[in-house]
Amino acid sequence: MPMPEPRHHWIVRVTHWVNAFALTIMVASGLRIFDAYPAFARKGETFCCYPFAGKIIPVGLTFGGWLAGARNWHFAMMWLLALNGLVYLGFIYLHGEWRDLVPRRGQLRDAWEMARFYVFARPDHPRQGKHNALQRATYFALPLFGIAAVVSGIAIWKPVELGWLTSILGGYVWARYWHFLAMVALVVLSLAHVFMVFAVDPYALRAMTTGGYNRDRSPEARNARPFWWKRPPAAAPAALPPEAE
Amino acid sequence: MTIDRRRFLQLTGASLTAAFFAACDSQGPHAAQPLLRFAERRNETVERWLFRHTSMDRAPRGAALAGAAFPEYYISDDVPVWDEKTRGPWTLEIGGLVDRPLTLSHDDLLRLPRVTQRVNHYCVEGWTAVAEWTGTRVSEIAKLVGVHPDARYVDFASFDDDYHESWDLASAMHPQTLIAYGMDGKLLAPAHGAPARVHSPVKLGYKNTKYLVRVQFMAERNGGYWSDQGYEWYGGT
Repeated sequence: MPMPEPRHHWIVRVTHWVNAFALTIMVASGLRIFDAYPAFARKGETFCCYPFAGKIIPVGLTFGGWLAGARNWHFAMMWLLALNGLVYLGFIYLHGEWRDLVPRRGQLRDAWEMARFYVFARPDHPRQGKHNALQRATYFALPLFGIAAVVSGIAIWKPVELGWLTSILGGYVWARYWHFLAMVALVVLSLAHVFMVFAVDPYALRAMTTGGYNRDRSPEARNARPFWWKRPPAAAPAALPPEAE
Repeated sequence: MTIDRRRFLQLTGASLTAAFFAACDSQGPHAAQPLLRFAERRNETVERWLFRHTSMDRAPRGAALAGAAFPEYYISDDVPVWDEKTRGPWTLEIGGLVDRPLTLSHDDLLRLPRVTQRVNHYCVEGWTAVAEWTGTRVSEIAKLVGVHPDARYVDFASFDDDYHESWDLASAMHPQTLIAYGMDGKLLAPAHGAPARVHSPVKLGYKNTKYLVRVQFMAERNGGYWSDQGYEWYGGT
């Protein structure tokens, strides 16, 4: 079997796990804060776009114990989340990893091929490099939703001192709504990501922790669909050298 | 007992999952509290740095007055009402680090320069409500009493049990920080803090003491009803 090759830079690995921790705390404490007023309408008005007004998030999914506890966690952890995000984005910009994540030509077609593969409409795993088109879309969108969450969060933290920002987002009520939607997007994409790691490429856990990755265990090599893949092949015999002339 | 790698990973996964679910709905490890206090102090520094006397709140265009939908919060069991028979006429005491301590009757208060503003009320819970507040600026009263230069905080105390909240002086001197005695064109109702209350959009609702009886200028902060229980002391918007 070939030696594992390095797959993720240590800065990417560290910021990934710090982010996983900080984001979990931010989401759970944010839900606890939301439970203090699980609606969006200004008092005396109605709000168009939230059908679950008045229904709290089950406290078992929240963190902080009570409103003040959750706020204290939220307003402390926001610094870790934001600074860690800046380190990550700064690093992938300077180091070139962003090229693996930005959309490229043929993105939609590639994503379509991946979807066809997952529903057995195509037998072989498309070869799309380090990340397939669905992954690229996810890993590109996650930081964007993260930025949206941070910006809308600042707007509802300081609606008077940074009133210009709150106005750009449509005022306090709408800024709070964007903050909520950004959170929903982050949660949905993160859960999909975690599901796919366990269902398709558990070897990625090692790649994201120690950095090592075996190419012949990649989803392409195993033709991996969620919970449906071939055992990693045994080390194949080396190819014959070309015949001497 | 020896454990192989597979067993180790299983145990790690199981304990992480258990820790995750044990953490839900809790306030987190006790050891984290000093860190959270530290973050709160740093946040206060940032918030004071962002604070401007020229940052004004304005009710959104077209926003309806909350009116009867404006929530009525107090800490006593019943709506606190100033009972003149037992307590005598209501007065507002202004004292502490000032040259000329002052006791204002309701009529005195109404004779001071009057401001009416339609602004948001930002509740710590996440809701906002628009109302039109009428009152006199705290900065106006500060001029009357002559605040000492070493006063850096103001405490607003209430007759709703022992409710009080102290503020940084800068926020209290903001032109939109009022001692309000009118709401939506009428005298303040008991549910909203009659006879007078603090109202300002630059602080979260719980900093805006209702049922006001005493304004104290101080060199040191003295906490507050909710700030002592874990809510941020600064509570700025």
